[in-house]
Amino acid sequence: MIDNHESPAGAHDVVLSDSQLADEIVPLWRQRVNIFLHNKFAIASVLFLLATVFFCYAGPLLYHSNQTDQATALNVAFNAPPSSHHLLGTDSSGFDELGRIMYGGEYSLSLGMLAGLITIVVGTIYGMISGFLGGIVDTIMMRLLDAFLSIPLLFLLITLIAIFQRSTVFLIVIIGVTGWFGNARIIRGDALLIKKLEYSQAAVAMGASKWHVIRRHVFPNSMSNIVTVATFSVADAILFLSTLGFLGLGIPAPQIDWGTMMQNGAVQQPNGFWWEIYPTALLFVLVIVAITYVGEALRDAFEVRLLER
Amino acid sequence: MFTYVLRRLVQSIIVLLVVMLITFTLPYFEPNGILGPAYIVLGTHATPQTIHLWGLQNGMDHSYPVRFWNYIDQVFFHFNLGHSYKQNLSVWNIISLYVPRTIWLALSSLILTVLIAIPLGIYQASRRNSSFDYIATGTAFVLYGIPAFLLGILMLQFFSFGVVHLPASPPGGVAPWAMFTNPAGFILPVLTLTLLSIAFLSRFMRSAVLEVLVQDYIRTARAKGCSRRQVLFSHSFRNALGPIIIILGLYLPALLGGAVVIESVFNYSGLGIQIITAATTLDIPTVLGITLLVSVLTLAGNLIADIMLGVVNPRIRIQGRGQ
Repeated sequence: MIDNHESPAGAHDVVLSDSQLADEIVPLWRQRVNIFLHNKFAIASVLFLLATVFFCYAGPLLYHSNQTDQATALNVAFNAPPSSHHLLGTDSSGFDELGRIMYGGEYSLSLGMLAGLITIVVGTIYGMISGFLGGIVDTIMMRLLDAFLSIPLLFLLITLIAIFQRSTVFLIVIIGVTGWFGNARIIRGDALLIKKLEYSQAAVAMGASKWHVIRRHVFPNSMSNIVTVATFSVADAILFLSTLGFLGLGIPAPQIDWGTMMQNGAVQQPNGFWWEIYPTALLFVLVIVAITYVGEALRDAFEVRLLER
Repeated sequence: MFTYVLRRLVQSIIVLLVVMLITFTLPYFEPNGILGPAYIVLGTHATPQTIHLWGLQNGMDHSYPVRFWNYIDQVFFHFNLGHSYKQNLSVWNIISLYVPRTIWLALSSLILTVLIAIPLGIYQASRRNSSFDYIATGTAFVLYGIPAFLLGILMLQFFSFGVVHLPASPPGGVAPWAMFTNPAGFILPVLTLTLLSIAFLSRFMRSAVLEVLVQDYIRTARAKGCSRRQVLFSHSFRNALGPIIIILGLYLPALLGGAVVIESVFNYSGLGIQIITAATTLDIPTVLGITLLVSVLTLAGNLIADIMLGVVNPRIRIQGRGQ
């Protein structure tokens, strides 16, 4: 199965014992994991992201504040600076900022991940079909993609939101449904390439069905690109959700996400209420940078040229 | 060259028709369906009978293809994009009021970007792996991770509420020449948009020049005795121009999207503020009209980029493959 183990001729005259051989043959996936684990920044990014997820989802269980209850927020000083009582101050509605960051993060992260999942599933299916079938189907599907791509994404999102109204579920669907165009292009390129390779051709020659070739050859071999693209898609989805939130077209009122929080904070910016915007902004940027960095590290790990250094 | 331009033109028109099919079909999904405008036009007179009558008068009873043809006819030959639900203006009026303002914003930052990012990219490529290169690449990476609105907020913090007190917002109103009569208010929005674009473009310029610098003809030119600077600016620049033109064409949607966000941060009334207001007040014809216009601009940008690519690079127009 593995043929990346090349023994240099003449270098090993001694017969290797079984255990030594087992040491030398490292499975491909293990090599990739190793490349990823060697990247200190990538490990740090993964740990940071896990910590953020823990902070957002488990945080509210440990840190009790008025982050969701409007009634208890009414008795609190609005726009209060950080104090021992409210570690990051309160916002313009009297909500505790720190608790709000956790609560908003739950929405930003889960919506981003779900929308990213949609973009990668739809993009993979579309790209696989287009690239694998080729010919006139491919041409039509790609021209259609050109049409989608020539509507600037932000405008397309705003249009869909205006027509279909906004709700949490719909925002996931809308960001997912408009985010896959670029992914489809990349996956299509992969499918085009892989179906021309010997092993796919051999399978076809042996009478394999199209579905079989896609399932057993094209899909597993473009997995590396799919995983990498998925990572970037999640970052993009979180970014787009926050941009929509900032424009006032994000999650509707009782719920909140980081983008909407930053919008609310920006309104208070001339008053100098820094705690309403910068803690959220810092966490947000760090999350985006961390996800992007994990994506880059994954791309390196899947890069064949970096194997067997 | 002529057939090349012609083919790209036909392609663009087909894509435009698909885009128009999308903007034509979407109103079927609005809360009141395609009869939505009737409720607005008729106001308190909206009864099932009058709405039905309005539908008949406006050809809503025709079949889908016929209606699509009428839509194309109205848009192309009469510039009729419908009537705004909320403002007492036609969508075309709204667009012609605000489009110059957005174009000035986007164009001035695009010019600044090209003037700064291209020399920056060339310099970075020629001084590859120097400390300056690392600093510039690192800065670009950070800027790349910051969303447009956040960069705007930071710019306001430092240059408007901070040490320097630049105006936080350009003058309001609809004057198309506001940028030239009152430039101080435009410094921050244009600067923010430019920074975002430079972060994007200089990376491409750097890698495009790097790719050219390893070619054989560069070595030949150096061997013949051309100076480093001569090679950099006459040989590599022209050959690296191709990728940059493509990127500029592809960058147009992002630039317009960025302009929407920047307008919103700095409260500059242009197309961006218009479409956001329209979206929050469910003024669907305005939203669709602006989206269609922006798509046309994007398509035109890509077309111009492809044609310019043919001008710069003879291989493309002879081979006849644009993409």
